Amino acid sequence: MKLTLKNVRLVRRTEITRQTSVLISVMGVVMAFAVAGVLFLLLGVNPIAAYGAMVDSFTNPILLANSIQRGTPLLFAALGLIVVFRLNFWNVGAEGQIVMGGIAATGIVTLHLVSGAIPDLLVLPSMFLAAFLLGALYALLPALLKAKLQVNEILSTLMLNYIAILFGNYLVFGPWLDPAAHGFPNSRIFPPEAVIPSIPFIGGSSGFIVGIVVSVVVYFIMNRTTFGFELRVTGDSSKASKYAGMSYTRIVSIAMIISGGLAGLGGLVLVSGIIGRMKEDFSSGYGYTAIIVAWLAGLNPLVAVVAAFLFGGLLVSGTTLQVRLGLSSSTTNIFEALILVFVLASEFLKKYRVIVGGVE
Amino acid sequence: MEASPKVALSPGDLLVELKGVSKQFPEVLAVDHVDFQLRRGEIHALLGENGAGKTTLMNILYGIFRPTSGTVFVKGNVASIHSPRDSIKLGIGMVHQHLKVVEPHTVVENIILGLKEPRYVLNLMDATQRVKALAEKYGLPVDPNSRIWQLSIGERQRVEILKVLYRDADILIMDEPTSVLTPQETKELFASLVKMKEEGKGIVFITHKMREVFELSDRVTVMRKGNVVATLDTKEAEEHTLARLMVGRDVLFQIERVAVKAGKDILAVDDVSALNDKGLQALKGVSIRIRGGEILGVAGVAGNGQKELTEAISGLRHTTSGHVTIDGIDVTNRSPKFIFEQKLAFVPEERMGLGAVPSLSVADNLALKSYRYPPYSRRSVVDRTFIQDKALGLVKEFDITTPAVTTPAKFLSGGNLQKVVLARELSGRAASEPPKVIVASYPTRGLDVGATEFVQKSLLKYRERGAAVLIVSEELDELLMLSDRIIVLFDGRIMGTLLRDQFNVEEIGLMMAGHKSAGGKGT
Repeated sequence: MKLTLKNVRLVRRTEITRQTSVLISVMGVVMAFAVAGVLFLLLGVNPIAAYGAMVDSFTNPILLANSIQRGTPLLFAALGLIVVFRLNFWNVGAEGQIVMGGIAATGIVTLHLVSGAIPDLLVLPSMFLAAFLLGALYALLPALLKAKLQVNEILSTLMLNYIAILFGNYLVFGPWLDPAAHGFPNSRIFPPEAVIPSIPFIGGSSGFIVGIVVSVVVYFIMNRTTFGFELRVTGDSSKASKYAGMSYTRIVSIAMIISGGLAGLGGLVLVSGIIGRMKEDFSSGYGYTAIIVAWLAGLNPLVAVVAAFLFGGLLVSGTTLQVRLGLSSSTTNIFEALILVFVLASEFLKKYRVIVGGVE
Repeated sequence: MEASPKVALSPGDLLVELKGVSKQFPEVLAVDHVDFQLRRGEIHALLGENGAGKTTLMNILYGIFRPTSGTVFVKGNVASIHSPRDSIKLGIGMVHQHLKVVEPHTVVENIILGLKEPRYVLNLMDATQRVKALAEKYGLPVDPNSRIWQLSIGERQRVEILKVLYRDADILIMDEPTSVLTPQETKELFASLVKMKEEGKGIVFITHKMREVFELSDRVTVMRKGNVVATLDTKEAEEHTLARLMVGRDVLFQIERVAVKAGKDILAVDDVSALNDKGLQALKGVSIRIRGGEILGVAGVAGNGQKELTEAISGLRHTTSGHVTIDGIDVTNRSPKFIFEQKLAFVPEERMGLGAVPSLSVADNLALKSYRYPPYSRRSVVDRTFIQDKALGLVKEFDITTPAVTTPAKFLSGGNLQKVVLARELSGRAASEPPKVIVASYPTRGLDVGATEFVQKSLLKYRERGAAVLIVSEELDELLMLSDRIIVLFDGRIMGTLLRDQFNVEEIGLMMAGHKSAGGKGT
């Protein structure tokens, strides 16, 4: 049969079984890998070798620890995004909120090192608190702008990213510049009491364990609390939400406090658990990758743990591909984007069936 | 000149013949092997409940849908109609239920919109003359140079009809044209349609109102669930037969309404004004008092402030002046939550998306307003088991047909969805607290006869229990049947109040058209 636009039809699915849904998601990821394989071929790299390098991210013990490490900030940011995305509030500002969290944590460390005002035992707890609060406050701004003045949140959160990144750079170039760094834009190196310990035996930041706990908490909030109920109602229909007596300002504010706060914790993990200090442009896109993680997880906080771990591995693979096969680091970006495109396509296929000339 | 070739046909000839026409939509067979004929010089009523397939069938003829199977003959020839452009060429015109006119343009501009001729030079003078002549001939008075936004709904409908006549259509499809008209406008419309019929045009008149069938039509085709169940000469048809054919069972035309001794004032609306969504004054100093055990019917053509009134009472719309009190408590411009807590039940006009959340389960929709109070939730943690059990109870009590209480609301039929909204609103925060005030907007619109009966009975039941009830409806029959008093809204003002023993369709109709009540007493 000839394939023309005329005999391809889309039919809305009324219901979808869990198996079909999972199958479509898995197929999406497989397709992404297949297309990436073609890309590797075009770049003159044996796809099998490339896939092998990727698998290593999860089998090689050192790389595995790395995957967990890099998956941790993704997990925190993605968990926060899942909350606001359920509300149909498009926070693309996780990047900026991560940076603000990192800044808050580094601020505490700098204060601790310079003045010694904070006892060693309280350093990490104060860093957690400060990172959460600054991230939350930074996210609250676009929430209030949207609720009170109908400012489009995609624009406001995106713009705030640049402000946060440049502010962070100003700090490491200026006031927080490490005197011992020979002019490199770095903050002081975090002392041991300000570093998140590794997971015993496996390695990788124990922040990931905290992240798993947080994902269960987020799951509970979304499915078992009155706030979660309001979130679902408002996300589906803001008119019904108003009719039911819910306050949009309150809901969007709480959601963004959670979202920004968790992204802030992601920033803390980044500076304290991975880099060990604050550097210029230290987040380098974790906040954007977290958007893909949230969608890959189907906005389910428990699935996000797996998705974040896989994406952490993907980031590590990027480095491996660079070192081992001489591929450019942007290959990983392309790969990430491919996964997002296929994830979105499979979301579409979960809603519609494609029928070609009468047969599926 | 003529767009369609004129074939010499005498009265009685078939203008349209549909043979075995079906239309399959993804989930439903909307039209199932239907045969239908339209003769020259007849008004053919197409009667059926909402969702029976009447509009779908006519949309096939007009070229909006393509039939899944079957053949369409127009004036004796097989017609392959791909779009309204094709059907207009064949002399078919359709006036939709929701009028499709361009508001900032003039009447003439709207009428010639989309015409292929004249191609380069627009001669509005000629067109204006022709529109005037047509308007006069068929008794469709409207000023060709007015802009659409200046016209009433009835006048806009005339523009749509003129548009069809301007294209020399001899097959006219009218889709529930009277739903937006006052009784007087309806009479005028019927007179015009009869004139067209006498000229040899064929008219398909879609309706679900029995009265109109007998008043206007020569033949009637009854549809039910996508099938044609009968085609009869109207003269030989009986109201009860038609009703039974339409519904599939015997219908009670009156439901029991007992006398209730009204109590004290529960709902008081004092001189309330409010803006509509466009920021224009839509409610201009309306005052209402409803006592416990009393039903106040609000009549009027849609868009005359009904929506703004119900929203101002329920807290969804800010008032610009005036006061609303419920049982002595001032609720003016308070939050919907506060007003709900004063025991207001609000059945809104828009069920899906406002009254119910499509992707949420039936159980969650039933808990939409009470989720924040114990025993639905305690210390911000919801009790899922209680919500499920409560839902099971309400589903039983209100006879809601749903596969399960976990089924998303979007899979429910209109009638069952309305029952969900009704069940939630009438049950309030807890079953022991019946509502003090019930505001119901178009509570039976689009429902089948069974569901309509159920909704009306429920409203009467709560009236007997002492609630103050406000019903907005476009079905005059419904208001006459249920109300203790009727007010008529026009242009955001109350035109008059009629007590039950003064109910008079003629007078209500005049008030709907903007005439102040002569004899009605204010309250």
